[in-house]
Amino acid sequence: MNQAETAGTPDTRDSLVELRDVHFSYDTRPIYTGLSLRVPRGGVTVVMGPSGSGKSTMLNFIGRRLKPNSGDVFFDGIDIDKLSRAEMFALRKRMGMLFQSSALLTDLSVFENVAFPIREHTALPESLIRHLVLLKLEMVGLRGARDLMPAELSGGMQRRVALARAIALDPDLVIYDEPFTGLDPISMGVIVKLIRELNDALGTTSIVVTHDVEEGCSIADYVYLLGGGKVIGHGTPEEMHNSDSEDIRQFMNGLPDGPVAYHYPADPLDQDLFDGGSR
Amino acid sequence: MGMVQGVGAWTLGAIQRLGRACLFLMASLAGVPAALGRFRSVIAQLYSVGVQTLLIIVVAGLFVGMVLGLQFYYNLVDFGAESELGLLVALTLTRELGPVLAGLLFAGRAGSALTAEIGLMKATEQLAAMEMMAVDPMQRVIGPRFVAGIIAVPLLAAIFSAIGVIGAWLVGVGQLGLDDGVYWSSMNGGVDFFDDVLNGIIKSIVFGFVITWIAVFEGYDADPTSRGVAHATTRTVVSASLAVLGLDYILTAIMFGGL
Repeated sequence: MNQAETAGTPDTRDSLVELRDVHFSYDTRPIYTGLSLRVPRGGVTVVMGPSGSGKSTMLNFIGRRLKPNSGDVFFDGIDIDKLSRAEMFALRKRMGMLFQSSALLTDLSVFENVAFPIREHTALPESLIRHLVLLKLEMVGLRGARDLMPAELSGGMQRRVALARAIALDPDLVIYDEPFTGLDPISMGVIVKLIRELNDALGTTSIVVTHDVEEGCSIADYVYLLGGGKVIGHGTPEEMHNSDSEDIRQFMNGLPDGPVAYHYPADPLDQDLFDGGSR
Repeated sequence: MGMVQGVGAWTLGAIQRLGRACLFLMASLAGVPAALGRFRSVIAQLYSVGVQTLLIIVVAGLFVGMVLGLQFYYNLVDFGAESELGLLVALTLTRELGPVLAGLLFAGRAGSALTAEIGLMKATEQLAAMEMMAVDPMQRVIGPRFVAGIIAVPLLAAIFSAIGVIGAWLVGVGQLGLDDGVYWSSMNGGVDFFDDVLNGIIKSIVFGFVITWIAVFEGYDADPTSRGVAHATTRTVVSASLAVLGLDYILTAIMFGGL
């Protein structure tokens, strides 16, 4: 459990994504103050942290929908901050992303949603596209729902369609943004199973951002825990559970108070109550 | 001090918005060639902003034409000049009312829908999802809508004017007894293609450009919340309508006033 290394060249043999000493702030509010992490190839890396710790922001760096104020982001050894807009769009074909809101295109059917990236980026004949789409839908168990519109699906089904779409182009990296949030237990179980199975079956690399400790640990090969704008701990799920660090224990065990304070910063209560002030 | 600061903040905010709108315009114009390359999506948008606006344009054009027919006839008849009814109606419609009213109706019917649609696509992360699928929303979403708006408004304005002329004919000839031949021949003799019709078309192209620009920008720039999209939709209708009326004065002054 050592700090993530920040020196040297990116090791492209065993890490697909690397963030190095990333600093970022929204206006004046600092989000990251020196974030460094590595995503090993072929595994499922789970990034956990409390709500508001900017986990999703990190995903936007990898897709370069945002640029960090300083620091480097590497994808397969490529420094993506140096890419032109066109090069970045080309690189995104190697990534698939599952959004928390699923983000299906609401005016297209399930079939057309999954076919969308294939149609956009290939000139395959219609019969082949049909095969590809049905195979992807089969993987998530929704081949029979191909003609439905997104609005006719439950939240869990929408997320599975979005997952089929994210893997439509057989990407090297699949990014999951809060994949377990807002699902019923059955759908949650399905998604947990799918993430692990798809990763192993397709030989991809997965990054999962979540605050669900149990589900996250059940599929993780490696866990990063964020807090206060940097990595506060990392290791295998087992190492994390057995850690004796206060920060890690509070999060892993869901303790209400600890290094992350229960109270939002405020004046002392008695002073606030009795010393006037209009609000 | 508070008020001065408020004025300053408002001004800075407005200038920033204008800057964002101009950057957005450049990005969307860059997306236009790609949009033209996939003309099917332009046609789909033409259907939703153009064809679906047709009903309100036809009905409004008919009533406006009928009112013009009545008003002009009653005023002209005092001077014994009712034979010029056709000319007056045609000039009013092709030069001014056709482009302006079609623009206002387009802003209310299609502009608001464009803003809401794009704003909701943003709020539901559909635009972000496209970006992550390596599909540029400027080419796939904004570009086709932009082209469709610029094509649709001149066509709608032409239809508005034509229906208006028919509406005035119904009232003037059908109801008030003006001679059919007089109505059409005054129009035939007095309306100039370049001075009147073409200037009207140029106006409507400008209106189409500005309304669509405002509508897609407001959608793209909207706060991704239900409140934000609602505000953006309102702003589209207000700013696009004011822009049409303001630009109409400027264009009229240039075209007909020799400014």
